[in-house]
Amino acid sequence: MDPGAQIYASACSTCHQPNGAGVRGAVPPLGDPAFSDPTVLVAIILRGVEGPVRVGRVTYDGAMPGFSGVLTDAEIAQVASHVSRAWGDGGAPIDSAVVARARAKAAGAGPWKGGQAMAGLSPALAPQPAWTGPAPWAADPAVLTLINEGRGEALACSGCHGPQGQGGDPIPRLSGLPSAYIAAQLDAFASGRRSNDQMSGVARALSPAERQALGDYYGRQSAPSTATPSLGGDRQAGARLALQGDWSRDIPACFACHGPSGFGGGPRLPALAAQQPAYTAAQLAAWASGKRTGDPGNLMGDVARRLSEADRLALADYLAGLPSNPAAARKDRR
Amino acid sequence: MPQPIETPQDGPGPASSPGRGLIRDLLIASAGGLAVLVVGLSAMSLGWIGDKGTDAPATPRAAREAAYFQPPPRSAIPDGPDGEAIRRGEALFMNTPANAAAFTGNSLSCVNCHLDGGRRANASPMWSAWGLYPMFRAKNGRINTMEDRIMGCFTFSMNAQASSSGGPPPAGHDIYRDLQAYMHYLATGAPSGVEMAGGGYPKVDLPSQGYDPRRGAGVYATNCALCHGEDGQGRTNANGQPVFPPLWGPQSYNWGAGMARINTAAAFIKTNMPLGQTGRLSDQEAWDVAAFINSHERPRDPRQTGTVQENARRNHTGGKTFYGKVVDGRLLGGGVR
Ligand code: HEC
Ligand code: HEC
Ligand code: HEC
Ligand code: HEC
Ligand code: HEC
Repeated sequence: MDPGAQIYASACSTCHQPNGAGVRGAVPPLGDPAFSDPTVLVAIILRGVEGPVRVGRVTYDGAMPGFSGVLTDAEIAQVASHVSRAWGDGGAPIDSAVVARARAKAAGAGPWKGGQAMAGLSPALAPQPAWTGPAPWAADPAVLTLINEGRGEALACSGCHGPQGQGGDPIPRLSGLPSAYIAAQLDAFASGRRSNDQMSGVARALSPAERQALGDYYGRQSAPSTATPSLGGDRQAGARLALQGDWSRDIPACFACHGPSGFGGGPRLPALAAQQPAYTAAQLAAWASGKRTGDPGNLMGDVARRLSEADRLALADYLAGLPSNPAAARKDRR
Repeated sequence: MPQPIETPQDGPGPASSPGRGLIRDLLIASAGGLAVLVVGLSAMSLGWIGDKGTDAPATPRAAREAAYFQPPPRSAIPDGPDGEAIRRGEALFMNTPANAAAFTGNSLSCVNCHLDGGRRANASPMWSAWGLYPMFRAKNGRINTMEDRIMGCFTFSMNAQASSSGGPPPAGHDIYRDLQAYMHYLATGAPSGVEMAGGGYPKVDLPSQGYDPRRGAGVYATNCALCHGEDGQGRTNANGQPVFPPLWGPQSYNWGAGMARINTAAAFIKTNMPLGQTGRLSDQEAWDVAAFINSHERPRDPRQTGTVQENARRNHTGGKTFYGKVVDGRLLGGGVR
């Protein structure tokens, strides 16, 4: 398979779909002439975009992650060339030097704030709807103190999970995990249903209300990924399991439960994308060996027991190579 | 409150598809013997995670593959015009609302009920359906071609009446050709005119206690709500992309769909739900929860011309259904938009 098509299949197809048709009312189709301009295409892939964007006659109001942290210049050039060849104007292949220049310009900038912010890139994009930011949200200062300074046995979370909750292998990323899931794990550590030398004492020192408040805080964060595939797993095999499963072994697609891009599937179904790989692999092994239990309905344990070690490494590395959910603060619609 | 609880005396309704599903037990029988391996993670050598992993059993795959017909893998779709038609059919099957936008009136895709892209045995796979058509169907009392059959899926399962065109793709539409190209491909090497092991949804006999939506509510809360939502409306993510399909309400299959029959839903659920947990529910639980989801209002039966009761007499005598019956003091079948 062409490398651009392969990157598309593992990084873009969960949302824009294998044939570029998108998802009705949720994800725009590819190939709109205004967005097929190489400058626009590369700018969107690098930074991602959130908020209202008009594509053709339809206005979308979603969030797409940026790929600057997880794809190289050459890879972005390959996937952009693939998109343009498959659905766009099919012009000359995009050169990685073009991506490098755009990356330098984009350094430090977050996702494009809606179509309006991009309008300067190409006159064909106009008109674009106005950006309306999310409602402001201020973290509870008491929670920030717990996170950054800790209190007695409740050691500062940031000391182990990083200042933004992004984690550092093998300590897990917390940023953007569902609030209810985080609170449930803290409850489980506190009660001994889940055990870990570092976490059990920390969780026991927190009140139930504090566990919930910490879940609310981390659930709203969208820290960029700091994970890197490092276990030597076969990432293509991992992508196949995550996207399609292997029903001959009764393994459903991971993303059938954990959300289409591994960004989470509901209050009790955590995000997997951008998770630290040694942590992911260790959790899968812990379920398989019966060390981690207590998942609702044994849904995860039943899946994990069907995975081989090679699967675990493949999955952990594939998931670590995905961008993080840019839209954790936005509520699931339903 | 009047509660229709039926018992086996009135006999199980007609199977969703004629007697199938012989070798399902193999799936359950083959889950033994775990080999233990040590996971060699870099993190473990750092002393962070001292854990032993278990490696999955190596035998079941071969055993199962021998048990059911194996459709060709995704990776084997040929290049060229026939391959393109197969891929278009696959896209229609996996993402129906975007690829058949004008004819899909809800948020469902074919794959939601025909799992693994129509490959999964006992989830009414397309490789077994392909060779059975043309076939006589009691639903409309005539010989149905595969195109007729798919038109029925659009009319009922995809609730085409609520789509922008107001109905299924017209006869001869390319959508039918492409879907059939995909089915034909999945059936490469399958026999035709015979019922294959793993075809249809394996029928579940009506259990001794009949079925009861009140008992089903408890089964639902314990086993289904986590994914399909307390309110049965499924879940979409922050972009509005479906994660779990709805089970009733305006975005679900309509009252004319096969899945709206309690016996058919029980058959689907028993082998396929909760996702990844074949055999978790008892027959009793499967019937009760099927009764529960099908005791909620959903889009109207598009065949209804007069009253619900008239349509119930005309079109709903075959299977177990709450259509045209009173549940919790409400007549069901009126429809929702
Ligand atoms: C998590 C889902 C998701 C992923 C993964 C994703 N996108 Fe997007 N993409 C979106 C959404 C949603 C929009 C519209 C954004 C908005 O509403 O603010 C969009 C917009 C776009 C647009 C501009 C509109 C259009 O349809 O032409 C392009 C181009 C694009 N994406 C390309 C890509 C490419 C290439 C990749 C892979 C490298 C990718 N996207 C990965 C969700 C995603
Ligand atoms: C001493 C280091 C350390 C500190 C301090 C710490 N953690 Fe942890 N945390 C860990 C480790 C290690 C794990 C992985 C546990 C495992 O492997 O089961 C973890 C796991 C977790 C998990 C489970 C994540 C998941 O994806 O399931 C949550 C939630 C969590 N920590 C929250 C917190 C919060 C909130 C704080 C601050 C109050 C905190 N942690 C402080 C080391 C720490
Ligand atoms: C049938 C639904 C389902 C499927 C399919 C599924 N999972 Fe899960 N998974 C869950 C649930 C539920 C949890 C939450 C467990 C808990 O609350 O303890 C979970 C948790 C996890 C976790 C722990 C996350 C953390 O932060 O600690 C990992 C890792 C994971 N799943 C990986 C996978 C992988 C990889 C696959 C595909 C092979 C997969 N899951 C498929 C239901 C599923
Ligand atoms: C809501 C669930 C649902 C959806 C969505 C759905 N189907 Fe079905 N399908 C069924 C059920 C249930 C049956 C079993 C037959 C019956 O009793 O109606 C069936 C039967 C079939 C059959 C005949 C199988 C056989 O062995 O005779 C074909 C072919 C089929 N569906 C194709 C499709 C296609 C194509 C789509 C998408 C356009 C689709 N279905 C969408 C539930 C669904
Ligand atoms: C772990 C998540 C999960 C659980 C738990 C679960 N389902 Fe599902 N269900 C799914 C998914 C995902 C699909 C769609 C399958 C696909 O597209 O591959 C589905 C499809 C269905 C469908 C057919 C599609 C539709 O919307 O009509 C029915 C009916 C259904 N489930 C009923 C149930 C019932 C009843 C239960 C409880 C006994 C249950 N499910 C438990 C995830 C789940």
